[in-house]
Amino acid sequence: MSTARPVYGQAYRVITAVIALWMTAVILAGFLLAIPRLHIVEESARNLYFHVPMWFAMMSGMLVSAFYSARFLAKARVIYDVRAEQAALVAVLFGVLGLITGMVWARFTWYVGTGKWWNFDPKQSMAAVELLILGAYFVLRSSIDEPRRRGRIAAVYNLFAVVTAPFLLYVLPRQMQSLHPGGEGSPAFSQTDLAPIMRVVFYPAVIGFIALFWWIYTQRVRLRLAERRLEETV
Amino acid sequence: MQLPITPTDSTDAPGAAVYDSVWVGTEIPDAPPVGLETVMLQQDKLYVVLAVVLIIWFGVVFFLFRTDRRLAQLEKTIDARLPERDDEVTA
Repeated sequence: MSTARPVYGQAYRVITAVIALWMTAVILAGFLLAIPRLHIVEESARNLYFHVPMWFAMMSGMLVSAFYSARFLAKARVIYDVRAEQAALVAVLFGVLGLITGMVWARFTWYVGTGKWWNFDPKQSMAAVELLILGAYFVLRSSIDEPRRRGRIAAVYNLFAVVTAPFLLYVLPRQMQSLHPGGEGSPAFSQTDLAPIMRVVFYPAVIGFIALFWWIYTQRVRLRLAERRLEETV
Repeated sequence: MQLPITPTDSTDAPGAAVYDSVWVGTEIPDAPPVGLETVMLQQDKLYVVLAVVLIIWFGVVFFLFRTDRRLAQLEKTIDARLPERDDEVTA
C-alpha cells in the first residue's frame, strides 16, 4: 500500500479563506435580510439556511466517503481508506448537528407548550437510523486490526450504508405525514414553496456548508496522513 | 407573545404557504409558554435561529478541539523522535 500526499499550498489557503468569508456573509444575510412572515414559524423560518444545509453537508460526506470506498476496493491505496474514513466522520458531525438543530427548531416552534424534544417525525426518526448505520461503520472499523482487511470490509459496508441514505432520508419520509416538506410532491427546486428572497440566502448557504465540510474533511485527512507517516517511520 | 394557532387558521391564512403548516399526526398545544420557551419565543422566535447557529458553532469547535489534541500528540511524537533543533536560540 502506498501513500500519495496531496498538496496543500497557496490555492488551498486562498480557498479556505474564501469559505470563511462566504460563511460569514451567509450568516449575516441569514439574519439580516427580511423574509415573508408565516404563522407558527415566524422568524424561525431562517433556520432553513442553517438546519437544511447540515443534511446537504452530511450527504456530501457520505458520497465522498462512498466514492473513496469504491476506489479502495478497486485499488487498495492507503489514501483512499483514509479519505473514506475521514469523510464519513465529518458526515457524522453534520448529521448529528442536523438532528440536534432540528430538535431545537421543532421544540420551540411547533411543539411549544408540550415539552416534546423528540416527536417521532418520520424524517427525524429515519435520520437517526441513518446515523446509527453510519456509526456502525466506525464500530466495524475498530473491530478489525489488520489494515488491509479493515479497509476492504469497511468499504463494502460503507457502500451498503450510502445506498440506504436516499431511501431513509428522501423516499420513505415523503410517503408519510411529516412536519417536513415533500409529502405533497418533490420539494426540490420547487417554484412555489420558497420565497425568492430566501433562495438568495439558501443556495449560497448550501454551497457554503458543503465547502465547510470539505475544509474540515481535508484537514482531518492531512492530520491522519501525517500520523500515519510517523507511525511508519518507527 | 403569540401562541401557536390551530392548523385551520394557519393554512387558511392569507399568503399561507407550505411551510406554514403542521404535522397532522400531532396536536397543536395551547398551553402558555414556560421556562426556556419564554426566552425562545421572543423577537418572533428569532432566538430559535440563534440557538441553531450556536449549536452548529459548538459542533465545529468540538471538532477543532479534537483535531487540536491529535496535533499536540503528533508534535509530541515528532519532538521525541527528532533531534533538538538549535533555531530556538537564534529565533
